[in-house]
Amino acid sequence: MNALLLTAVFGVIMMLSSFLLTSKTAIRGLAVSGMVIVLAANVLEMMGIVFFKIDTKDMIAFDRFSLLFNSIVFISTLVYFLLSARDMEKVGINYGEYFALIFFVLCGVTLSSSFHSLLILFLGIEIISIPLYILTGSDKRNLKSNEASLKYFLLGAFSTGLMLMGIALIYGATGTFSTNGITTSPTSALVIAGMLLLMFSMAFKVSAAPFHFWTPDVYDGAPTVFTSFMATIVKVAAFIAFMRLFNDEFGSLQSRWQLLIALITAITLFIGNITAVFQQSVKRMLAYSSISQAGFMMMAIFAMNADAREGLLLYSAAYCLATIGIFAVLMKLKDYSFDGFNAFAKQQPLLAATTTIFLLSLAGIPLTAGFLSKFWMIKAVAGTGKYLWLVIFAVLMAVVSVYYYFRVIQAMYFKEGDGQTIEASLPFKWTLVLLAGIIVLLGVFPNWIIYWLYF
Amino acid sequence: MGASSLIVLMIAAVAFSGIAILISKFVLKATTNKQKGEPYECGIPTKGPSWVQFNVGYYLFALIFLIFDVELIFLFPWAVVVKQVGWLALVEIVVFFFILFMGFLYAHKKGALKWM
Amino acid sequence: MSSVPMSHILFVSTALFFIGMYGLFTRRNMITMLMAIELILNSVNINFVVFNKYLYPDKLDGIFFTIFIITIAAAEAAVAIAIIINLYRSHRSIDVENASEMKW
Repeated sequence: MNALLLTAVFGVIMMLSSFLLTSKTAIRGLAVSGMVIVLAANVLEMMGIVFFKIDTKDMIAFDRFSLLFNSIVFISTLVYFLLSARDMEKVGINYGEYFALIFFVLCGVTLSSSFHSLLILFLGIEIISIPLYILTGSDKRNLKSNEASLKYFLLGAFSTGLMLMGIALIYGATGTFSTNGITTSPTSALVIAGMLLLMFSMAFKVSAAPFHFWTPDVYDGAPTVFTSFMATIVKVAAFIAFMRLFNDEFGSLQSRWQLLIALITAITLFIGNITAVFQQSVKRMLAYSSISQAGFMMMAIFAMNADAREGLLLYSAAYCLATIGIFAVLMKLKDYSFDGFNAFAKQQPLLAATTTIFLLSLAGIPLTAGFLSKFWMIKAVAGTGKYLWLVIFAVLMAVVSVYYYFRVIQAMYFKEGDGQTIEASLPFKWTLVLLAGIIVLLGVFPNWIIYWLYF
Repeated sequence: MGASSLIVLMIAAVAFSGIAILISKFVLKATTNKQKGEPYECGIPTKGPSWVQFNVGYYLFALIFLIFDVELIFLFPWAVVVKQVGWLALVEIVVFFFILFMGFLYAHKKGALKWM
Repeated sequence: MSSVPMSHILFVSTALFFIGMYGLFTRRNMITMLMAIELILNSVNINFVVFNKYLYPDKLDGIFFTIFIITIAAAEAAVAIAIIINLYRSHRSIDVENASEMKW
């Protein structure tokens, strides 16, 4: 509850700051300190100190899982602010509003990670989506940005329609919005239809395979600063909502949806990885890589056991931090193609080293957080004892993904080129080093996160 | 009151308006002139094409109006229970309007309400 | 007046839903597509109200959900119209076919 109210309040404060504060440094400082306060309040709530005791009539349930996830999201956003807040100035003049919209998105993330009612799920997903439409189109003079926001809006609104129809059908069958699980037996056709509609719309939001086609265009067209935010924090938030929905509401119907989710997972892994191989621009490659990572996260929804819950949290931390790091470096470059990274190691040895760690983590090389999170996912799927072909397929696809991540590393270290000159401040470098350190440490001690789930 | 009364009502409505039109057709002597084709028979003739583009400021006003207008829908459920809930309801609606006022203040300060 | 069977109203709402889908997929004018989206949302509204009225009349859950859908739809429409105006300024057209800087 702390985080939910504070994010909303800080959203409003940032909105007002856009005309009350004139200096951009002050706005940035306010945003970062706001993020620290939100994070601190959320950690306090994990320790049992709740500032606001509000009776939500059992519509929102802040349990350990959602609180821990919120902490991960807030840490990622803090890192994102520290690394990339300066780059938002390039997008347009409305500097304060970008932060306000990001805080509103975080408010939606808090709702959608802790809903216990389909109404809150809908509100959370919409509060995430609507500011994102604006952020995607925030580069007003850029045609690609306009177009990306249009596509995002049309497909997002379409999937919202599907989700609402699903909720309506489930309401018709059960008469309640609380996600206590479907208990009516035999299961009526209304429930099955509603479940399918909800599954498709959530697959849209997490960009799983048959519904992924908006992702590359939107991520490519949006200003790179906001692509970094959308591809990481928003995506894992949608996954948490997906998982909560299918765990709480449709958990009793697992045998009915498991095959479908397995197929979606396999197709997502296949399309994401294979298409990423053929990309020429690193930004677009990262968009496809986010689809393939979504495939791995879908395995948690398929398995839906204790391992899957731990794994999804670990995965969201590893994926968010690494991708935010790569995007922060990418934003400094002018040329987004693979050739833009040529001889990058000679130019900026420190940045190249940290980027390598991020890429290794995404590829799932041991000793990084990315490896352990992938391992957890595979363990979870193997633990269900069904569909073992999915495990083999996932490992194969992880091998494919090594190719396109290593292309960047190869360009940085082994290719000759003139190397782009970029200016990177000292705090920026140290934040990146710290981030790389966290990723390696999480790869050795994953219990730092898992511990909080149970103690 | 069954379906039959509905049908009777429909027939009566059509007949009523139809008879009025027919009577006027028979009684009046029809004259045609150029003025009859004007969109405003008794107004001032338009100068230039009337399909002009509106200033984008109109849309801005329309959007702001749309948002504030629709927010008022939350007053309906509030109005139903305000007597039962008592003072708490009053506090809550004040908070609600305070948030709306923040949005209004933002729009005002950003110059969205300023006419060209 | 409640002699109208539920299936009739559900038929209307389902028809609206699919008309909206059809419009969204076939029309190329952005304003029309926006209207199609509104049709979809309104069909869901009808569904909620009907289910509430006919099946679970003791609680008002469905009607309150409708109120939230209406406000969210207004917010969505405002953002959409802002996007469309912005796109019109750069393309001088509101036809989605002209918005093809990026290939799918």
